[in-house]
Amino acid sequence: MTATAARPQTTIFRRPSAKTGLWSWITTVDHKRIGIMYGYAAFIFFIIGGCEALLLRIQLAQANNEFLTAGAYNALFTMHGTTMIFLFVMPASAAFMNYLLPLMIGARDVAFPRLNALSWWIFFFGGIFLYSTFIFGTSLAPVGSTGVSGNLPIGGGPGSLNFLADSPGGGWFGYQPNAGPLYSTGTAMDYWALGLQILGLASLVSSVNFIVTILNMRAKGMRLLRMPVFVWMSMVVAFLLLFSLPIIAVALFMVTFDRQFGSLFYAPVGGGDPILWQHLFWLFGHPEVYILVLPAMGMVSEILPTFSRKPLFGYSAVVFAGAAIGFLGFGVWAHHMFASGITPVAQAAFGLSTMTIAIPTGIKIFNWLGTMWQGRIRMNTSMLFAIGFVAMFTIGGLSGVTHAVVPSDWQQTDTYYIVAHFHYVLFGGAIFGLFGGLYYWFPKLTGRVMNERLGKTHFWLQFLGFNLTFGPMHWLGLQGMVRRTWKYAPETGLQPWNLVVTIGGFIIAASIAIFIFNWWTSKRHGEPSGLDPWDARTIEWMVPNPSPEYNFAVPPVVTSLDHFWQLKYDKGPDGRAVRKPDADEIVAKIEHDQRNPVSPIHLPNPSYFPFFMAIAFPTIFYGIIYHTAMWGKALIFVGVLIGLIAVVGWAIEPLEEPHVEHDDEGHTIEAAGAYD
Amino acid sequence: MTVEPHHPTPAQYWKIAALLAVLTAIEVAIYYVHLEFDLGNLNTISLLILATLKFVIVVAFFMHLRYEKTVLNRFFVGGFVLASCLYAVVLAALGALIIRGS
Amino acid sequence: MTETLHEAPMDHPEHESTGVENRKLGMWLFLSSEFLFFGALISNYLLYSNRPGFPDPYPSQIYDIPFTSVSSFVLLMSSLTMVLAHNALSRQDMNGTRTWLFATAALGAVFLGGQVFEFTEFVVNENMTLSTNPAASAFYVLTGFHGTHVAIGVIMLLSLWGISRRPGGLSEKHGMNLELVGLYWHFVDIIWIVIFTVVYLLSVPPA
Repeated sequence: MTATAARPQTTIFRRPSAKTGLWSWITTVDHKRIGIMYGYAAFIFFIIGGCEALLLRIQLAQANNEFLTAGAYNALFTMHGTTMIFLFVMPASAAFMNYLLPLMIGARDVAFPRLNALSWWIFFFGGIFLYSTFIFGTSLAPVGSTGVSGNLPIGGGPGSLNFLADSPGGGWFGYQPNAGPLYSTGTAMDYWALGLQILGLASLVSSVNFIVTILNMRAKGMRLLRMPVFVWMSMVVAFLLLFSLPIIAVALFMVTFDRQFGSLFYAPVGGGDPILWQHLFWLFGHPEVYILVLPAMGMVSEILPTFSRKPLFGYSAVVFAGAAIGFLGFGVWAHHMFASGITPVAQAAFGLSTMTIAIPTGIKIFNWLGTMWQGRIRMNTSMLFAIGFVAMFTIGGLSGVTHAVVPSDWQQTDTYYIVAHFHYVLFGGAIFGLFGGLYYWFPKLTGRVMNERLGKTHFWLQFLGFNLTFGPMHWLGLQGMVRRTWKYAPETGLQPWNLVVTIGGFIIAASIAIFIFNWWTSKRHGEPSGLDPWDARTIEWMVPNPSPEYNFAVPPVVTSLDHFWQLKYDKGPDGRAVRKPDADEIVAKIEHDQRNPVSPIHLPNPSYFPFFMAIAFPTIFYGIIYHTAMWGKALIFVGVLIGLIAVVGWAIEPLEEPHVEHDDEGHTIEAAGAYD
Repeated sequence: MTVEPHHPTPAQYWKIAALLAVLTAIEVAIYYVHLEFDLGNLNTISLLILATLKFVIVVAFFMHLRYEKTVLNRFFVGGFVLASCLYAVVLAALGALIIRGS
Repeated sequence: MTETLHEAPMDHPEHESTGVENRKLGMWLFLSSEFLFFGALISNYLLYSNRPGFPDPYPSQIYDIPFTSVSSFVLLMSSLTMVLAHNALSRQDMNGTRTWLFATAALGAVFLGGQVFEFTEFVVNENMTLSTNPAASAFYVLTGFHGTHVAIGVIMLLSLWGISRRPGGLSEKHGMNLELVGLYWHFVDIIWIVIFTVVYLLSVPPA
């Protein structure tokens, strides 16, 4: 597998060579650049999803409001949920994994760099495909009915954004038969089903890539139980994706067959069973919850020890608890269906299994608290977000346990109590963790640190806004306010708290604006970070900031957990860590060594083919939506053709162009992944 | 370019394939016997055992899983067991796990 | 399948910490996730195949067991030819590799032809379409997705066969390619072993 043998170069296009500019980004296979693209795309979708949420909140701020029509309201909550889950939190986590995993395990790149680029481009085009529903999608009234849009009454005045109603309105969970051909007419739900299919494919490809990377690409001495917790959690997430995405793929294919080709899987009219959809969806959907939150848990497990200046309390317990959460996450799906008429035995069993999952989660929370206990805590923005994560996630976890009690869950099903719960878990949990990670690893991207004053303002404003928004939803839900309903009557008495919720939503928006400003200015004018701004513990901080293209000039040899910290610190007489007297020199030497490669480092060459192959999927899927038309069939054909050409080009193009091998201490070439 | 010493030889592959063919023939035979003389649950059980045998033989010898590292065995068996358990529960919950003997 | 078809030993310590080549590990991971994919489709069929009250015909009323037995046998034997191709390559028997690769692709194509014939038969003569009842939907989508997998396998086999016909075509890099295609091919075969028994032989219409 060495590249010594000179092969005849047989590529379809001349190999891309741009190092800067648009083409360099399109053809890059560098995990760091791919991570950055994931991050920016995810953030843009976060803004879009946030705007959708604000529109929903404007509608609900007043009783009997006429701001949105029912159809527009449905489309907005559907797209808000879908966006935040599939287009924000998942790719944002993927951004961190892409950027950090190879650095954290001491690798040159991921195991399959071009597949990595493929994942990203499939995700990118999948997001565009899904959002193109706002332009091309339709949502027509069922045959023979008047005055309804889809299955909904039309309401609202002229300026009521009704054009938005021509978009998927079946909810992010796409319950059948409501999202089926009979009740969600038009093409909008097809865009939703096929869009998720594309996004799922992207995640499936990267899950394989990440597992192989973590298992196979570790530096010398990086044993499994020396890996940072973030790496562990990423691996658990990758396994969850690997095993849950095929399920939703089948379920969504069946939706598409029902809607496009007249199969009868979910339609009760034809004898289909809508509960089957619920099972398949939640078989995927519950692991998905852990897919969203485990990466944030991993980040918090990196941030808390660093700023407490103590090792993570119970490292192996945290790791095993994470794996246990992943495993148990497959056994609790039916708790989403307690009100769907499943048998009492199933209700009892899933109630119990749901309670069980609180145990590993509790282990983690106590370990995080134990980490901070007696630590010399530095309260910077990153740490604040991490602590915010622990606190808010605990609230969300506790309200989650109340859902495991079946009679209580019947009362809460489809009320705002549920909305409150999962926002505490996913916003208070995942998103707080992601922001903590952004502040923490910002120097790796830019070589600068973010402004602390702005950062702390951001945190406190977001913390306030978050609790104002989602706290009152608990009691609104317990008072009986139902989800997914565009209007409530004034005599329900729900108005005051709804107004508070809406105000809270706008406070969150303000805090995000501060974050954007902070990001923008710190990127240019932030304080230079140096190699080790946080006195960090893990080996990604042994690489200069911003990270060079080749990651490690000198491959690290890992001798312990928290390897970098161990190089700098000794155990003092009282058991506390004491910084070595020559720690600064050690860090300076590391920086010098890592900045100056001893021999040329060969990296995987950029490639056009991931980009082209990714284009094939939306092309084919557009064709499926319009397959009854001639041009739809033509699109399918063109898409398949693009895909085939890309596969052939990919297969005959070596990962690296032939070059002379330098097999010295520098491990100069990528050997194993030469043909991914 | 070395050949893993424990891998079967072509002759052995042919024998394994012959065994698979015989097992398939037995399956089809059982199917017809069952049509004539109702075998009850014996039909279901014997056919499932035969299918499992064929499955295991192909995986172990043709896919060489027998000779592979444990890590691959774990992933593969893990995926299979997970799928079996999850879908068994789904089918049970939907009331479709009644094996008909006749 | 550990014959190392690489000229140089893997002496990069940061690679293959598990001792399994990256692409092979990736393929096994992908295959293990395919269990969940086909598991969903098979469960789907099991759920509907004997629910009473659907309009006739149920798939199990119109199966042609002798015909399907033959095509199952064909697919089973294609696993033999696949493994023989792999074995031939590991002995650097290029003629053998070419022959067995082509035989495998041909047997796969015969299986696919059988499926096309079966579907046509069911739709035209037995009046069972995708929209007849959920059992029929489940049958067509399950066997259709399996057939798609076979078709992708045939394309990959034919590409390898095409490469092997060029002088010096199957070089060290294709050793792993052949192995990966082989793993995929055998996997498609074992899924059919399950389908043949569970969906064809054991399936009965509602009493």
